[in-house]
Amino acid sequence: MAQMTLVQAINDALRVEMRRDSTVIVMGEDVGLNGGVFRATEGLQKEFGENRSIDTPLAECGIVGTAIGMALTGLKPVAEIQFDGFMPPAFDHIVSHAARVRWRTRGRYHLPMVVRAPYSGGIRSPEHHAESPEAYYAHTTGLKVVIPSNPYDAKGLLIAAIRDPDPVIFLEPKRIYRAFREEVPEGDYTVPLSQAKITRAGKDVTVVAWGTMHYLAQKAVEKAAEQKIDCELIDLRTILPFDAETIVNSVRKTGRMVVIQEAPRQCGFASEIIALINDKAMDVLQAPPLRVAAPDVVVPLARLEDYYLPDVGRIVKGIQKVFNA
Amino acid sequence: MPQMTLIQAINDAMRVEMRRDSTVIVMGEDVGLNGGVFRATEGLQKEFGENRSIDTPLAESGIVGAAIGMAVYGMRPIAEIQFDGFMPPAFDHIVSHAARLRWRSRGRFSLPLVVRAPLGGGIRALEHHSESPEAWYIHTPGLKVVIPSNPYDAKGLLISAIRDPDPVIFFEPKRIYRAFRQDVPEGDYAIPLGKASTVREGSDVTLISWGAMVRVCMTAIEEAEKKGLSVELIDLRTLSPLDIETILNSVSKTGRAVIAQEAPRTCSLGSELVALINERLLLQLQAPVGRVTGYDVPIPYFTMENYYLPDVGRVLKGIEKTVSF
Repeated sequence: MAQMTLVQAINDALRVEMRRDSTVIVMGEDVGLNGGVFRATEGLQKEFGENRSIDTPLAECGIVGTAIGMALTGLKPVAEIQFDGFMPPAFDHIVSHAARVRWRTRGRYHLPMVVRAPYSGGIRSPEHHAESPEAYYAHTTGLKVVIPSNPYDAKGLLIAAIRDPDPVIFLEPKRIYRAFREEVPEGDYTVPLSQAKITRAGKDVTVVAWGTMHYLAQKAVEKAAEQKIDCELIDLRTILPFDAETIVNSVRKTGRMVVIQEAPRQCGFASEIIALINDKAMDVLQAPPLRVAAPDVVVPLARLEDYYLPDVGRIVKGIQKVFNA
Repeated sequence: MPQMTLIQAINDAMRVEMRRDSTVIVMGEDVGLNGGVFRATEGLQKEFGENRSIDTPLAESGIVGAAIGMAVYGMRPIAEIQFDGFMPPAFDHIVSHAARLRWRSRGRFSLPLVVRAPLGGGIRALEHHSESPEAWYIHTPGLKVVIPSNPYDAKGLLISAIRDPDPVIFFEPKRIYRAFRQDVPEGDYAIPLGKASTVREGSDVTLISWGAMVRVCMTAIEEAEKKGLSVELIDLRTLSPLDIETILNSVSKTGRAVIAQEAPRTCSLGSELVALINERLLLQLQAPVGRVTGYDVPIPYFTMENYYLPDVGRVLKGIEKTVSF
């Protein structure tokens, strides 16, 4: 089995689907000749030609708008937005149109499209290159939102997203694009959307995370284990619609929960996870649930980034606080 | 003291500020000659001329973008977006630029900008005319978000918003624009941002709401009182920054809370409030915090609108469920 980084797994998923289904196309800024700013689409134009790997103008609104039209008329476009922070120019097309076509046509049309974007901070980048905007899309009905945390899931989830009949916002944690390699099967497999994964079983505290934060939380729960705190770690994988059952079952077992997010705290997606436990499992809580999140300020530039992003130390502290409460 | 509707109070607030401060201007689609789609800016062009009451092209991105430039250069623009559902085209300018000017310039520039928009459902409108998108802006650091629930507050809060040095998203619940009149003082007064109002004191449960839902809550409370329940009602007024102290003081007194909002449930301000109360007050809670919300679908057209919007019956059920837990 091939060892792949996360970005190689993304590339492989796109290639597998483009070979299998001639209606799948990729489009975006520099995705063709150049192979993508992070090389996610490398080699695709060579193999599939300029009509299926399309270099677009620098215009996010146009990229998503065109993709919507393509999806309506039978193609399965995978639109790349070069960075998370460049998604707002396409926001209107995503929330006012892509998310609503199924509803607007009373189910007569659906929109099989994927909007991919590198996501979240940690690469010492300039402004608009380190955002974690998943909450905007999680509050938008009609979208699915997926954030993988490792190469295996990235490939399987992206294939599932491309095959999904509805629009999927697929956010790729850029900080771990090349952080590690993992065995990734060749060819075709899917990881179903809306299924979280328990990546470490434990009995004391449930830790919920996604994307880069899951990568850090894996280290944090091992540190906590050294202090005799046995955490159960859940990788959410799909943010919307999310796997409520896995989280509730875990908290019913542990009675304690910490949710980790890289986005600013206020009205972030972690608040919905806490609200879920409030609704479904408050009777078993032995301590207040806790969010470990970024502060409510804009992501700072390179020098201050480490003060902003939740790190292993802050996650461990959160776990300790909930365990000792 | 004159009796005013909410929309008259909004108009009066702008007139008062435009008379007091020549840097205050209004701009937007049809705000000048026509006086605004809801008549919010009626008479302002006649009194202050075309340079201070500016009819813009039908281009929300341009309206907010131009307003940002004006605010940077010393004006105090009030940009009107004609409906809540037309804000996404301006989303990039709002979240990527307006919200960040203070941060981006390390405090050297501030952005005294107000973006006004009618909010929410209940007027039997078409698509994109009935949205409640406050959660997106509450999740965006650098913005303030205000939603008044009555004429007196509307005038005082809008005057404060205009005088505020930072960008304020000012949502006006359109279904109560003309629902009732209230005594509104003439001339100049301000209601501070960031302060909730305890509309009614009670001991059994805290009901938290904002905008048009406050009136629905008032009626629900009267029904609840007939059943012997004592409900404390908090009108948030400013949704960001939140008046956390007022919320926590009330819930620590009553031990129970219900949130009533028009917006869809997932990842909304309701979720944030549930998370906040759980994190800070879990041990004093006698029941899970309830959420009475719109459903996770786009707000439907008028024939089904009444099934979507939380009404007195649903708020009352929410109160009863929480009290009888």
